[in-house]
Amino acid sequence: MNKPLEAGKLAAHETAAKQWQREFAAGAVSDQTLRNRSGVEVKPLYTPQDWRGDYDAALGYPGQPPYTRGIYASMHRGRTWSQRQLIGLGTPADYNARLLEMIAQGTTAVSLIPCNSVFRGYDMDEVHAELLGTCGVVANTAQHIDRSLEGVDLARTSCAMNDPSPFTLLAFMLAAAKKRGVDWRSISGTSNQSDYLSHYVANHMFFRIALPGARRILTDHIEFCNRHVPRWNPMSVVGQHMQQAGATPAEAMAFTLCSAVQYAEDCRARGMQPDEFLPRFTFFFDISVSLFEEVAKFRAGRRIWARIARERLGARDARAWRFKFHGQTSGVDLTRQQPLNNISRVTVQAIAGILGGLQSLHTDAYDEALSCPTEFGARIAVNTQNILREEARLTDVIDPLGGSYYIESLTDAMERKILAVMAEVDAAGGMYAAVEQGLPQKKIGASARAFQEKVESGEQTVVGVNAYQVEEGSGEREALPVPDPAKMQAHLAAFAAYKQARSQAAVQRALDGLAAAASDPKQNVFAHVVEAAEAGCTHGEICATLRRELGFGQPLVVV
Amino acid sequence: MRMNAESCSGAVAAILAGERRALARAMSAVENETAAGKALLHALQPHLGRARVLGVTGPPGAGKSTLVNALIGAWLARGASVGVVAVDPSSPFSGGAILGDRVRMGEHQAHERVFIRSLASRGHGGGLSRTAARVVDLLDAAGYERIIVETVGAGQSEVEVAEVADTRVVVCPPGLGDEVQALKAGILEIADILVVNKADLPQAERTERELLAMLSLHHYADWTPQVLRTVATSGAGVAELADVIERHAAACADQRRAHGGRVRRLIAASAADWAKRRIEDLASAEFDRLCAQVRSGELDYASADRRALELALRSENET
Amino acid sequence: MSAQAPKVLVTKIGLDGHDRGSRVVASYLRDAGMEVVYTPPWQDIPAVVKLAMEEDVDVIGVSSLATDHLIVPKLMRALADAGMHDVAVIVGGIVPDADEATLLEAGVAKVFHPGSALENIAVEIRRLTQQRRALNA
Repeated sequence: MNKPLEAGKLAAHETAAKQWQREFAAGAVSDQTLRNRSGVEVKPLYTPQDWRGDYDAALGYPGQPPYTRGIYASMHRGRTWSQRQLIGLGTPADYNARLLEMIAQGTTAVSLIPCNSVFRGYDMDEVHAELLGTCGVVANTAQHIDRSLEGVDLARTSCAMNDPSPFTLLAFMLAAAKKRGVDWRSISGTSNQSDYLSHYVANHMFFRIALPGARRILTDHIEFCNRHVPRWNPMSVVGQHMQQAGATPAEAMAFTLCSAVQYAEDCRARGMQPDEFLPRFTFFFDISVSLFEEVAKFRAGRRIWARIARERLGARDARAWRFKFHGQTSGVDLTRQQPLNNISRVTVQAIAGILGGLQSLHTDAYDEALSCPTEFGARIAVNTQNILREEARLTDVIDPLGGSYYIESLTDAMERKILAVMAEVDAAGGMYAAVEQGLPQKKIGASARAFQEKVESGEQTVVGVNAYQVEEGSGEREALPVPDPAKMQAHLAAFAAYKQARSQAAVQRALDGLAAAASDPKQNVFAHVVEAAEAGCTHGEICATLRRELGFGQPLVVV
Repeated sequence: MRMNAESCSGAVAAILAGERRALARAMSAVENETAAGKALLHALQPHLGRARVLGVTGPPGAGKSTLVNALIGAWLARGASVGVVAVDPSSPFSGGAILGDRVRMGEHQAHERVFIRSLASRGHGGGLSRTAARVVDLLDAAGYERIIVETVGAGQSEVEVAEVADTRVVVCPPGLGDEVQALKAGILEIADILVVNKADLPQAERTERELLAMLSLHHYADWTPQVLRTVATSGAGVAELADVIERHAAACADQRRAHGGRVRRLIAASAADWAKRRIEDLASAEFDRLCAQVRSGELDYASADRRALELALRSENET
Repeated sequence: MSAQAPKVLVTKIGLDGHDRGSRVVASYLRDAGMEVVYTPPWQDIPAVVKLAMEEDVDVIGVSSLATDHLIVPKLMRALADAGMHDVAVIVGGIVPDADEATLLEAGVAKVFHPGSALENIAVEIRRLTQQRRALNA
């Protein structure tokens, strides 16, 4: 690629290029400039002229700086990506049954998603009963988590708890582990979506505590886990929410990296060392159907993060430079119309993530756009991964798109876009300040609007929605699977009985200790959350205590 | 809302009784400047003057809404009823608006002793809307003891709140630096109370000192502006703020005089607004001649504007 | 009678927090000249009724993902109890057909499914506003 061409060859090359240009112009449908979702121009053809970078400086070998081609030397050849399917529904017993099934089908890691009521910080008896358990498991105590993970060897299985501040689900899991005699030091997994800024900005899903309080608790959480649960990743920096909310892929990556910098700086201010905490930072991204753009996004992200970790954050250990990430296929690309088409979409998204070098993958079920997925849909989603790995053999070659003139040019272009957005955030004073001012929210809203307008005008095709539509009878749209009301009533009754039977004194002591810790900056709030979990406190009680002490803020409305 | 004498008195009675729906619909009529709305306001005039009006302004990022939320809580705890008027900017292009301010008072918006109304600025500069003062009057008539007017949040140009409010609070974020200078233009000069919010941040103390230093340059007669520190998210300093607001109320003599002052200021503002619109719309040869005289230097502006007022009044009486 | 633009509430009740759709709709309506009271997710029903009353809104737009639409009938009853029969409610989001029928029976004026054109939502809001204004004149 870098060899200079001799004069004669050069002339021949020029002639060929001109011929192509002529023929292309004659045959092309329009001369309109095409751009990808991030706004990068996409040309019809890429040649050596489009990328004359230096292999060693810009790409390198996998497992070495600049990490463009992958964070590990062997990547998926050595250890395939984790098939980490998000599951959540109904009661702990329901969840456990589905989990064991999925493990039998090839899921290698656990990801538990709780009911929306849990995300809001409430116990099951504090919300409208008909909304319980429709999209996540109703788990409010250590017992519930224990039951949900029955039959799972906590010392050997990586468990991701989707549980932002104050991380009660992990606390419940630690309590359950202690009861089972499992050493906390053998527990691995992630506090998935612990990134409070992304929740605040992009989907308000898990917003419970005012920003300053959330900031404090996260830093406490990282500190506690680094010390007591060393194989746990307490920091999951999320780009998925923002991309789902409408951020372009470049914007999502930029804001995520800025958030990571913010969290790292908060840890450093606390006295923690980058070499200690950065290896336990993981990332979580959305993967859209824009296949090449996503691959380039991830490659650029790896490269930028390695540089930031080393140069800006001062990490010296190579493990701190590695951009570990989980990818989830994008739900907003899926349609309600002709839902089986979503299988094709998810396949393309999964390919993008795999070729982009992710470490773990969740594939959506085709019926995700209708409701929470059925078993049937979930099985296809897992098999999609199995097919890509074992039939299409996508794991045979590391970074197979590397070296493509297009991909290398696009990776550079995406890097430039990402850095430009990061500069804006830095100018605003960092991600926390930018979020307080509404900067990311404004950009994301504008991108969401712009995309909607492209769909409405037809510029962006969405099969089944603005093109290739068919009349669909009501039979084709299934009803929502809702949890068995009788089971949920039983669950509620058992919960009430549980609260009666436990030691009220122990519960009160633990909650008082938690409240005191919240107003004392020298104490670790998460340590007290764990104590409260062990003392039998419920999720709602823990959240209410913290909300009282730290404030229940309202998100900034930026439309 | 078509209004005859009977339905007007019915609406008046409902509002005086604090009936929520009637109050809300009256506000719409007032906002839209309908004849019915004007008649209602006129009928309510003798019933005004009981409420204490607090104006809250400050730059974005200061945490105004969070502070207002906390203050509402403090007042509710003291048994007061609270009305809030939150003004958001209208789009200069479409005329539409996103009214998103009220939810930042989320905790209290459902309380039965709280009434919150969002207003779009509808092209009005100065931080409020043209009818905001009238909407405040409706809340006053309905018996809300404390009324908060929260402005658009642009910062410098919000002197208008000074006319509507009895007590003016300016909320500052810590670490203002250059922004302190920018704020000086107008806002700080009208503040009765300056609040440094997010006072748990390191720069808060310095900001407080900078503000105190700036205040010391001025001379004050009845009331020296107070500088307070709060952490709105935790409620720290909010009780003190409520106390200082009460002290300011006492310092400004009795209620009637305060209301009189406000009425005076509002009449002046309303007259100025009328005069401006009327004069700009003048389409007479006389006015054209007047303008020519100013352009040539024959008349100075001071004489011209008196003359223009006469012309405006005359044209008003002729229509 | 002034030809004042519609005043619309765009809100989310229930437990879900995904508000991309409601934000896009709110911004579109604002650009169409309407005054939009916009709330973040998780508003509870009594708060929504009180808000709609105090703001004197013409139409309430409820955005729903997953199963939150299941409690919209509760909202309809609360509005009726508060004497607010004139305020129309529209629902946007993922609503299975069987549930759509239930919502319409409960008094919801219209359900907009994913992929609905924004202009259609605006047109419906204008129509419902006109209806309300005529009723209250």
